[in-house]
Amino acid sequence: MSLVTVRDASFSYGTRQIFHQISFSVEKGEIFCLIGPNGCGKTTLLDCVLGFHHFHSGVFQLMGKDAAGFRSGRVARLIAYVPQIHERTFPYLVREVVTMGRSAHLVFFESPSRKDRTMAEEALERIGIRHLSDRPYTQLSGGELQLVMIARALVQETPIIIMDEPTAHLDFRYELVIMEVITELVKERQLSVIMATHFPNHAFYFQSKQIQTSIALFSNGRFLAVGDPESIMDENRLRKLYGIQADVISLTDRNGKTMKHIIPVSTIKEMEV
Amino acid sequence: MKRALFYASVCLAPIICIFLSLCMGRYPLHLSDVMNALGNVPIWTDRTSFGIHHTIIWEIRLPRAILGAMVGACLAASGAAFQGLFRNPLVSSGILGVSSGAGFGAALAILLFNSVAAAYPFALVFGMLAVVCSYLIGRLYRTTSAIMLVLGGVIVSSVFAALLSFVKYVADPYEQLPAIVFWLMGSLASARYADIMIAGIPMSIGVIGLLAIRWQINVLSMGDREAHALGIHTNLSKGIVIFCATIATAGAVCVSGVVGWIGLVIPHIGRMLIGNDNRKLIPVSLSLGACFLTLVDILSRMITGAEIPLGILTALVGGPFFVYLLKKTKGGDW
Repeated sequence: MSLVTVRDASFSYGTRQIFHQISFSVEKGEIFCLIGPNGCGKTTLLDCVLGFHHFHSGVFQLMGKDAAGFRSGRVARLIAYVPQIHERTFPYLVREVVTMGRSAHLVFFESPSRKDRTMAEEALERIGIRHLSDRPYTQLSGGELQLVMIARALVQETPIIIMDEPTAHLDFRYELVIMEVITELVKERQLSVIMATHFPNHAFYFQSKQIQTSIALFSNGRFLAVGDPESIMDENRLRKLYGIQADVISLTDRNGKTMKHIIPVSTIKEMEV
Repeated sequence: MKRALFYASVCLAPIICIFLSLCMGRYPLHLSDVMNALGNVPIWTDRTSFGIHHTIIWEIRLPRAILGAMVGACLAASGAAFQGLFRNPLVSSGILGVSSGAGFGAALAILLFNSVAAAYPFALVFGMLAVVCSYLIGRLYRTTSAIMLVLGGVIVSSVFAALLSFVKYVADPYEQLPAIVFWLMGSLASARYADIMIAGIPMSIGVIGLLAIRWQINVLSMGDREAHALGIHTNLSKGIVIFCATIATAGAVCVSGVVGWIGLVIPHIGRMLIGNDNRKLIPVSLSLGACFLTLVDILSRMITGAEIPLGILTALVGGPFFVYLLKKTKGGDW
């Protein structure tokens, strides 16, 4: 049974169609990468899976059950969310922010208990940022904030995590830190991750870590291709997807592991595409 | 243990302020006289048999102190809740138009029915109506951005201010106009137990609601999308917070008139002292608001022979105190 099944789903804002008849499914322990140019509708698709928007047509199932009418609380016990940009308004302490991940498991007027606070501390420990626990989260760097958001998703105890460009705006080190954390969590807890990203190389990275990885190339409201990154990511499709000339090369790193890489070379004028 | 101490001090502080308020005034009383008078509850005994101390305490100072504490608590807690909900530290209960709405409602009631008694329900209804309008204006573009909400509040406030002027203009200048103006300037001077009973109902409902939902205010302050993904029913929870904060404020404005400043700045003083977690911030705001208004009311009675309106003193006393705290805590993490 797939954890997430989307079949022939469509969505539009008023008369503006965002995507049309999209299908995919996500299995346990799988990373599903959503790749496509800016404004292609990745975030809207994720919003629909989160129940923040609703698919206008098609089938949408979570854990094999029709999820179209799921309340936010029910969705939140299945899917956690790591946002692309988190706007920080009030300087909450890091542990307070992480504890918010427990909300879906509380009844309406309930506040988190000692157990919930302990879980938050454990999640911070697991992600390796326990030392930030008592810091106001407004003082953190972008990379640290992203780790806090992942810790918050972790205490939500869901089988699925949705990440919207989790490494956008991060430096080389933090990009790798985040990728490593995701890899470990998926292996250790058999989590499923749906991830929008601008870096096709991320899919190759996960694949090289022996994680079951699928990739969907999202363009003009449709999937150009869905499947195994190694086989569907070629120069031709990148040309269609982004309008760029790119080389796909194989690299052997210092540990003797071979991993594919995409090197962008130049843009192509509209005419030639 | 730490938690017990925290809640004990939160409850104790306003009680101490109320006792201070009972002792101080044009006619100072010793604490023993106060305790003596308080010991004889007038319900069970014939009230004529007691002296002047008893009358001062039971008929004048006690209702006034209690009402002051309630009004201050409601304004501060509502301000804190609104700030969290709208993700904007500059929002207060007044900024969303509840005060001007309530002012117009009260004036309209006096104009139509010639009675101040009708002012309570009208103030309540129009105060809530004003906030609903602000919220709808803020949502026009499908995003409840902070700027749009504040803008919505400003627009709604100015519309109700204009309507209020119109009511004043057409009101009978000998009977109704003074009643309207007197009501609007408001003070705690006319406090009676009846006021506490009537306005106490919306104020208590609002405060209890805010206390119950204070954890969700934290989550709502993460923004709509994230609050939803964290499992909060955002529309329902937002509705409850707005409803509770609005009826608490409207209840307060009913009896005290428009007392500004508290709803904006007391929550910030709370943030400096104990941080931003609404689980603590809402109780602390209640407590600080109650203390602050009770103390300011003592000043308003004592400085001059004629009472100084509360709104003037809250800003005059509170402003410098705020700056002092800012310097002392260096803003904390606030």
